[in-house]
Amino acid sequence: MEWVNKEESVVHINRPRHRTWAGLVVIALVIAACQGTAATQAPTPSPSDAPAVTPAPSDAVIQTPVPGQGGMTSDGRPLIRWFVGLGTGERPNHIEVEQAVVDAYNAAHPELVVSLEIYRNAVAYDTLATQIATGNAPDIIGPIGLRALQSFGDQLLDLTPYITPADLEGIPQGLVDAYKLDGKQIGIPMAVYPSFIYYNKKLFQEAGVPEPPHAVGEQYDGKDWTWGTVAELARKLTVDAAGNDATSADFDPTSITQYGLDAQWTENDARAWATVFGGSGSAVADDGTTAQFPDNWRAGLEFYYDGVWNGHFIPNKAAVDGMSGGNTFQSGQVAMDIVHLWYTCCVYPAEGTPPVTDWDIAVLPVGPDGNTTSKLHADTIGILASSPHPKEAFDVLSYLSSSPELTQIYGAMPARESSQDAFFEQLAEGFAPLEIDWQVARDMLEYPDVPSHESYMPNFQRADAASKALGSKLWTTEGLDVNAEIDALVTELNGIFAEAAP
Amino acid sequence: MVASRFFPDTPTQDEGPMSATSGSATGPTVVELPGPRPSRFSLARRENLSGYLYISPWIVGFLVFTFAPMIASLLMSFTDFDPRAPGATAFIGLDNYERMARGILGQPGGDPLIRDSLLVTVRFAALLIPVTLGFALAVAMLVNSTLLAGRNVFRTLFYMPMQIPIVASTLIWIGMLNASTGWFNQLLAAAGITGPDWLNSVTWVAPSLTIMGLWGIGNMMLIFLAGLQGIPSELYDACKVDGAGRLAQFRNVTLPMLSPVLFYNVIITLIGTFQYFTQAYIIGNGRGDPAGATNFFNFHLYREGWAYFQMGYASALAWLLFAIVLTLTVILFRSAGSWVYEAGGDR
Repeated sequence: MEWVNKEESVVHINRPRHRTWAGLVVIALVIAACQGTAATQAPTPSPSDAPAVTPAPSDAVIQTPVPGQGGMTSDGRPLIRWFVGLGTGERPNHIEVEQAVVDAYNAAHPELVVSLEIYRNAVAYDTLATQIATGNAPDIIGPIGLRALQSFGDQLLDLTPYITPADLEGIPQGLVDAYKLDGKQIGIPMAVYPSFIYYNKKLFQEAGVPEPPHAVGEQYDGKDWTWGTVAELARKLTVDAAGNDATSADFDPTSITQYGLDAQWTENDARAWATVFGGSGSAVADDGTTAQFPDNWRAGLEFYYDGVWNGHFIPNKAAVDGMSGGNTFQSGQVAMDIVHLWYTCCVYPAEGTPPVTDWDIAVLPVGPDGNTTSKLHADTIGILASSPHPKEAFDVLSYLSSSPELTQIYGAMPARESSQDAFFEQLAEGFAPLEIDWQVARDMLEYPDVPSHESYMPNFQRADAASKALGSKLWTTEGLDVNAEIDALVTELNGIFAEAAP
Repeated sequence: MVASRFFPDTPTQDEGPMSATSGSATGPTVVELPGPRPSRFSLARRENLSGYLYISPWIVGFLVFTFAPMIASLLMSFTDFDPRAPGATAFIGLDNYERMARGILGQPGGDPLIRDSLLVTVRFAALLIPVTLGFALAVAMLVNSTLLAGRNVFRTLFYMPMQIPIVASTLIWIGMLNASTGWFNQLLAAAGITGPDWLNSVTWVAPSLTIMGLWGIGNMMLIFLAGLQGIPSELYDACKVDGAGRLAQFRNVTLPMLSPVLFYNVIITLIGTFQYFTQAYIIGNGRGDPAGATNFFNFHLYREGWAYFQMGYASALAWLLFAIVLTLTVILFRSAGSWVYEAGGDR
């Protein structure tokens, strides 16, 4: 007689239960794993006029859009998605105002729904590219600068058929033209940020030198206000650990504690530095396909390089890294800093109480081309050509572009002249009790860089990267032949441009 | 009992494992007992199925999230896919691979940065791998030494940096290595030495990244430590009897006995070096600064895909990276026979 193995019979009895449990676990895991994707692809349609602010699902996404499908809400209204994060607009105080502006539009236009979605700048480009690739693109993108807008130039809608004279009223034609790409009007200027000199009044007093001019054409201490004069002044304001300034024979360039001049947050860009110190120019010749580097740009870069490595009155990258994480002016170690109007975001009293609490602004000098040039940044809002509702999207764009609340919160001078008085009044209130001469900012807007230092180049991203690579090299490497480096850049750019040729 | 045609050892359903039939004249008698429903599968097969069922979440995850994207990237590498214009994607055959090859060979029409990115990566690997392996082994021997008081404290301290996110630790190192305000140069200045511009110098940036890498040897140290603790003390005793000094013991016992662990760490570090990215991205400002000295291959791949949106070409670069790492790994495995000790083997 043979007894069936007792252990095996136990196994047999329990195995189906094991299988059942295992199956349940597998199903649960698969469902759990797929849930996020499923929710994204087929959201529960429950739009309402109320702001659809949901908790941020990740650090990258600050605010998600109202659910919708095919550009429509579940109740059949057009859904206009506004994508924020490619430029400014992601700060908490920005979001509050942006949402209020959107809510106001939705309340006044019940026939459609505008949805605000906000992404961290660091991931916004990849996110937008992914959304376009998956056929899930937003309608409106911005605020965004000219350089960044060109990353998606081919995907942008030509706004020309939708623009009415009222949309451009009070906006200088030069600014409007800056947003023309390959014959397409890809944006309407919304906000402008001229650049000028922020200066630390305390350091000027300590050095016993007069403050820089506040009006174009004004002389400085009996001399024309040129880059030569600026360099001379900057040397007096550059001080080493022993208290010697850079005009002294005892000056030690290895122990500098204070610099005379900087152009902070210029992103190492050779085109930008060349424009700051050399005036307007273009890396593209008139034929649109050949690379060049104008003489005034060469002079500008040589001035900059000489200031960093020979005159020692402009900090190199290592020095900048050691000053308040790159916010050199607010470190209190830079006497004059050329930055844009948007820098009002990050100076006293907007940013607490840094070492610099007494400052003002001055005009830029005459450049090697004989002109005063204020490197200009400008923000706009664009519409993607894939938008299923271009007319509605343009109406929203027009509304957003002319919103005083938005330009105010972005610290932007409205492109529309009629709105500028109110902007500067509020700016003055915000910086009281300091009495900043905001007329300087207004005046500098009269001298924009045309063409823009961010203007079109064939094969833009690669060409832009090459320009920045040279900027980085000049900023970090001593003993270079600047002209030879520029020639090498021109050769490289010609190769990059040729790649883009049809 | 009639055996199943497919599973000869398994009783048929009619009979069931618990059914009893009269035995043959020579066979045993089986008593009929009540039992569970019979299974069509053998025990081994049932166990296999259960195992597969339990690991199926991983298999599903692998197929969906790893294997499928790999195949997609392979297909993409034969296209000019740009995520901004997916509708314009075209099949371009081997053009992306030709561009890589031309770039590596320095021919016109090639990728002008690929050769430099490979050189940057190989040079860095040549520096990082021996230095980190040597340092990790030295630290492991130190914290394994009976002469060291508070060994567990030191082990914890050396492992602790592993708990700090790479981005945070890199930012800390940027501060420490700053040419004018960093601790490194301040210490050197105290000794009368003018320190270099660590992170902005083409010459010094790779050594800087290597120094930063030494901070993260915790895992490697632990693996070495485990290997050291697995070496039988009798071997050292025998060496001592033979009159061997510490260096001879290290050369003739420690290194051979530790060679499998060393081999593992070399493979892991090699793969990690070819995938080096985060620190290079932060230090190089996302541009390969200074002057392309941090333009590692993986970073170059990233720029092609996510800065220039050339996903097709970036996919081809990814497959080249895969091929390089695979080839080097195979070479290392082939060479293992001559320098890796295997217990019970001839070596």
